[in-house]
Amino acid sequence: MQALHTAATGMRAQEQNVQTVANNISNIRTTGYKKQRAEFQDLLYQDLRRVGSTSSNSGTVVPTGIQIGSGVKFAATSRVLTQGSLEQTQQPLNAAIRGDGYFEIELPDGRTAYTRDGSFERNQNGEIVTLDGYQVAGGITIPQNARSITISNDGEVEVVTGNDQTPTNVGQIELINFVNPGGLEAIGDNLFLETAASGAPQTGTAGEDGLGTILQGFLEGSNVEAVAEISDLISAQRAYELNSRVISAADEMMQSAGQILR
Amino acid sequence: MENAQLITLSRVTALNRQMNVVANNLANINTTGYKSENLLFEEYISPVGSADAFKFGDRDLSFVLDDRTVGDFSTGPLRPTGNQLDVAIQGEGFFVVQTPAGERYTRAGAFTLDAQGQLVTHDGFPVLGDGGPIQFDPEDTKVTIHGDGTITGAETEIGRLRVVTFDDPQLLNRIGSNLFSGQNARQLESPRLSQFALEGANIDAISQISQMIEVQRAYDELANIMRQQNDLRETAIQRLGRVQINA
Repeated sequence: MQALHTAATGMRAQEQNVQTVANNISNIRTTGYKKQRAEFQDLLYQDLRRVGSTSSNSGTVVPTGIQIGSGVKFAATSRVLTQGSLEQTQQPLNAAIRGDGYFEIELPDGRTAYTRDGSFERNQNGEIVTLDGYQVAGGITIPQNARSITISNDGEVEVVTGNDQTPTNVGQIELINFVNPGGLEAIGDNLFLETAASGAPQTGTAGEDGLGTILQGFLEGSNVEAVAEISDLISAQRAYELNSRVISAADEMMQSAGQILR
Repeated sequence: MENAQLITLSRVTALNRQMNVVANNLANINTTGYKSENLLFEEYISPVGSADAFKFGDRDLSFVLDDRTVGDFSTGPLRPTGNQLDVAIQGEGFFVVQTPAGERYTRAGAFTLDAQGQLVTHDGFPVLGDGGPIQFDPEDTKVTIHGDGTITGAETEIGRLRVVTFDDPQLLNRIGSNLFSGQNARQLESPRLSQFALEGANIDAISQISQMIEVQRAYDELANIMRQQNDLRETAIQRLGRVQINA
């Protein structure tokens, strides 16, 4: 009985849907997290009576055939790239992007990663690094005797050192954009890698070419909305139940077929 | 006597298929742009040619034949997603997708971009506009898709989504992956599209479940009939086949 397998694909799909929702909810307080959404597609159809096949010797044609589908598949998780809420932290090295763009991070293995998480710190050499100690591209070093650090809207980093009155420019944080940021590969730790689907990184100055602006002293929260996730969870759970009912109904049908002979 | 058995069997087979259709509908309850499907039955009268010359002529037997599956092409619920490349069609119409096998049609407007900046489906097939595939520039980070399908990027108009319709959507063939194949697509002049939203499946869970219960009960009943017929035959064989020794 095909219905059993069809309903099983439905249950598996809903299970993955719940997993996606669970991951969203668990990242509700993750800086710069963009929520994911599960996309489904129907599976192949079995043509029991094909549309357009000949139905008699005089050449009449079947106008609508019988097509029975074989279930559903989990096609993709796509990211919803809306702006997360901005939370003030007062930390001078915290930066949030208002609008499109990513910070560029140099991974210890030489690769380049991208992130929306701007919770930066200084390491022992005064370089700007992420919370994991990975260096932010641009190699900006904050002098030891810096009194105040200013990051402007377009990413210019200025410090006031020692007894100076005027700020000195120590570098610029550039933003990266992609043709299809939804195609970036998430590798955890709030980091993303470039893929063929995302397109090549386009480096630019914040506030120009459609890039967002940088806000110092703020962090971007996740764009997960608890209410939306919970309602998704409920609908996924109900859909799971419906599919399990189909399995038990199909099972009972088989059982009653088995009892024809006694 | 076999006729009763065979007629019941024709119904059981049809019910089996209807169950498969219901299962597929319920499995696709969260599939973007999925259209509910239903199986229709017709009465198949047999024998087609009958002899009336005898006193007791052939009687018509009516079998069940599952005749066709029909799609319910009503618009599903719109779910807002916040993604600028998600488009839903309100009312009639299909997006046109270029697959290696030719043009295919879909209601699932969850699009993305490929490495070349072309608008594609999640399977990587280009979505067609009035002038072929739709190409985005790296600067087009803010995209607006208007109600009539016109797409504007950073400053300029990029293209217009092709939306087609069919005189009889029942003639469309489902090929999986949210795609339909069909002939004689006609350009829809004024489609109604909504950006930042996707169309959910137009499945009504209650009606599907009640259909399923109906199928299940009918199946039980028929299994019962088959069992009784079997018993009947068994009794007949036992009684009639008993040899009368003391005749």
